[in-house]
Formats: sequence, structure tokens, C-alpha cells
Amino acid sequence: MAGGQERILRRRIKSVQATRKITKAMELIAASQISRSQARIIANRPYRHGMQRIVIEAALGDPAAAKKLLAVPDKIDAAIVLVITGDRGLSGAYNSSVMRAGERLVRELRNQGTSVRLFAVGKKAAGFFRFRGMEVEQSFVGFADRPSFSDARFIAGVIAAPFIDGEVQQVLLVSTRFHSAGSQSVETEQLLPLSMPDVIIDDTPKPLKGYTEFEPEVEQLLLHLAPRALESEVFSALLEGAASFHTSQQRAMAAATENADELGLTLTRIMNRARQDSITTEIMEIVSGAEALRSGK
Amino acid sequence: MATMKVEIVTPEAALWAGEATALVARSSDGDFTILPQHTPTVGDIVPGIVRVQTAEGELSFAVHGGYFQVGPDDHEGVTRATVLAGVAERTTDIDVVRAQAAKEQAEADIATSRLEAGDHAAQQLAEAALERAELRLRAASK
Repeated sequence: MAGGQERILRRRIKSVQATRKITKAMELIAASQISRSQARIIANRPYRHGMQRIVIEAALGDPAAAKKLLAVPDKIDAAIVLVITGDRGLSGAYNSSVMRAGERLVRELRNQGTSVRLFAVGKKAAGFFRFRGMEVEQSFVGFADRPSFSDARFIAGVIAAPFIDGEVQQVLLVSTRFHSAGSQSVETEQLLPLSMPDVIIDDTPKPLKGYTEFEPEVEQLLLHLAPRALESEVFSALLEGAASFHTSQQRAMAAATENADELGLTLTRIMNRARQDSITTEIMEIVSGAEALRSGK
Repeated sequence: MATMKVEIVTPEAALWAGEATALVARSSDGDFTILPQHTPTVGDIVPGIVRVQTAEGELSFAVHGGYFQVGPDDHEGVTRATVLAGVAERTTDIDVVRAQAAKEQAEADIATSRLEAGDHAAQQLAEAALERAELRLRAASK
């Protein structure tokens, strides 16, 4: 009887060790992706800041035209919410924390009487929101791990169209911001109307106080500039989302590996005790058998 | 000779940065040249070739549309010109064979999307691809 238990334990230990190999491999892969995606964020920074500077310049150049594009409208009848999640799971709370923040936002907007159109990056979002009675209008999948600029351009095109046509008055973004390898947070930002970056980046030259020249006229420039600035913002959100995803996955997989180690150790102990028990029982049986034979003589 | 700082920046990376004596490009208002001490300017760049003149010679870039900003640098009296482009590359880095293949592919795509009339999105994508391929070929042949 005891031998059977030992066999079962041996099998469980093997399966725990096999799982540990997988989680360890995923941890290492995620770790290598972190540094790569972090490098992409840094490489993107000059473009993003340059774009923000140009928007600021253009907005200062023609406040009247800028007001249309930059100011928050008084009344918002309809809004778009874009949620950026990952394509894969096994990444701790990464997907669910973004989606929960998205859900809260949608609910809040609906309570204020705003109708909401939902767009999502990542495979996981569609199912999550459908279950909660919020239909995702379009899911963008297949590139959450390694977003390219053309992906961002595509998304920006899709979500900007209803805004330009006047169907919605606001486009909001819910995504994970990557502050550092140790800290990420879920944040909600306004994409359209373009929000003026209030913290002007430190390498920005002082505002040029209105003697900047424009080619072509500011009004026309702003019209084309807005979609480009949107692309840039979406792209950096995608990059930061990807980096956060890998970080979160690495952390989750490191924890899983540690768990497997611990479980393996406990199981090995139990198995050793079971084996020792069965050996003891066997010896007892032999000894008592021999004893019985001798006394029977 | 007076120089200014020039940067060519794309979303994926800073393509080039350095000291230059002049920057030549075309905006929707027409060709322009930026020299050191140019007045602060913001404008767009239509798809085409952007030239940067440096002490070591001229560099050229195929820029598939973008924006530029000219302004004073942090250091007093230094001009800084930044070119922001969604897609851009050094003309010397262009793979002519690939661009030629991309051009043919795009032309084929346009033909099929015309046949299946109504597929506007596909046609626009193909047209954009064709435009890029043609610009690359033009830039590389110069």
C-alpha cells in the first residue's frame, strides 16, 4: 500500500519539475525581452518629445485654431475608449488591471450619459468586456509584444476617423505606463483632443513666445499635425505597454518558478517519509514473522 | 564656417544627429533651405529627399513625410533643426532590389484591389507602399 503512494508522489514531483522548466524558460525569455523593449522606448523618446514640442509651438502660434483641436469640449455625447492589453496571459495582473481600469472608466462615462465606443489592443480584452456586457468594437491583435510604428499608425487612423467626423468628442486611452523596470502603473489619458503635455520636457528650448514662423499656415499645419501626434502617442503607449507586459510576465514567472521549487521540496520530503515508512513496516513484518516462527518451534 | 545642430528622428530611432552647415528639404509651401541662425520655424515636409550639408560632405535621406522644427538650442546662439519623420532612411542604406520588389508588389496589389472594387483600405495601403517604393528608388538612383 505504501509503495503505491510513493509512486504517485514520484509522478507528481516529476510533473512539478517539468512545469518549473517551462516557467523558468518563460522567465528568461521575458527578461531578455524587457531590455529590448526598454531600448525601444528610449529610442522613441526623441521623436515623441520632438512631436510634443511641435504641437506646443503650433498651439502657441495660433491659439484660436489650437482651441478647436486641443481644448476639451464642454459637452461630450460620445467618446472612444482605447484599452491597451497584451496578447498573452501568464503575466500576473498586467492584463486584468488594465481591463478593470477600462471597465471602471466605461461605467463612469456611461453614468454621465456619454455613449462609449470601445477599442482594444490585445487578444484578452474582447472576451473580458463581452462578459461584462460591453462590446469591443474592434480588437487589434498580433503585435502587442513587438509593436511597430505602422501598427500605431493603423490604430490611430481607425480611432481618429470618428473624432474627425465629429461622431465622438473625446478619445481616451487606458494603458500601462512604464516608469522603470520596478514601477509601472495603469493610467488614463486623453488622446483627442490632443492634451498639451503639461510637464515640458527638460531638454525643451524655452517657449519661443510667438515669433515662430510656420510653413504652411498654422491652421493647416495643425490639421495634419494632429493625426501624426496621435500616432506618436499611440506608439509610445504601445511600446510602454509591451515593456510592462514583459516585466510583469518575468515577475510572474519568477514567482511561479520559486513556487515550483518549494512544492518540489515539500513533495520530496513527503515521499522520503513514505518510503521510510514502508521500509520500516516491511522490517517489522519480517522481524515479527521470524519471531513467530522461532517461538512456534 | 557657422554650423548648427541637425537631427533626423524617426519613431524607432534617431537616424542621424550632428553638426551641419545647411539643411535642404521641401515643405508643402515649396523648397526651403535652413542655414545656421535661421529664424524659429515649424513646418511640414512632403515626401522627398532631405539633404544635410556637413563639413565632410552632403548626406541625403529619403523622408516619407514629416515635420521639422528650427529653434535655438540650449546653448546660446546655436541653432537646432529637428526633422521628425514616421519613416525615413539614409539613401545609402536603401536596398534597391527590395524597393524594386516592393514597387512591383504594390503595383500588383493596386491592380487586384481595383478588380475587387470597393476594397478602399487595401488600395490605400498599396498606394502608400507604391509611393514609398518609388521615393526609395528615386533617392537611391541619385
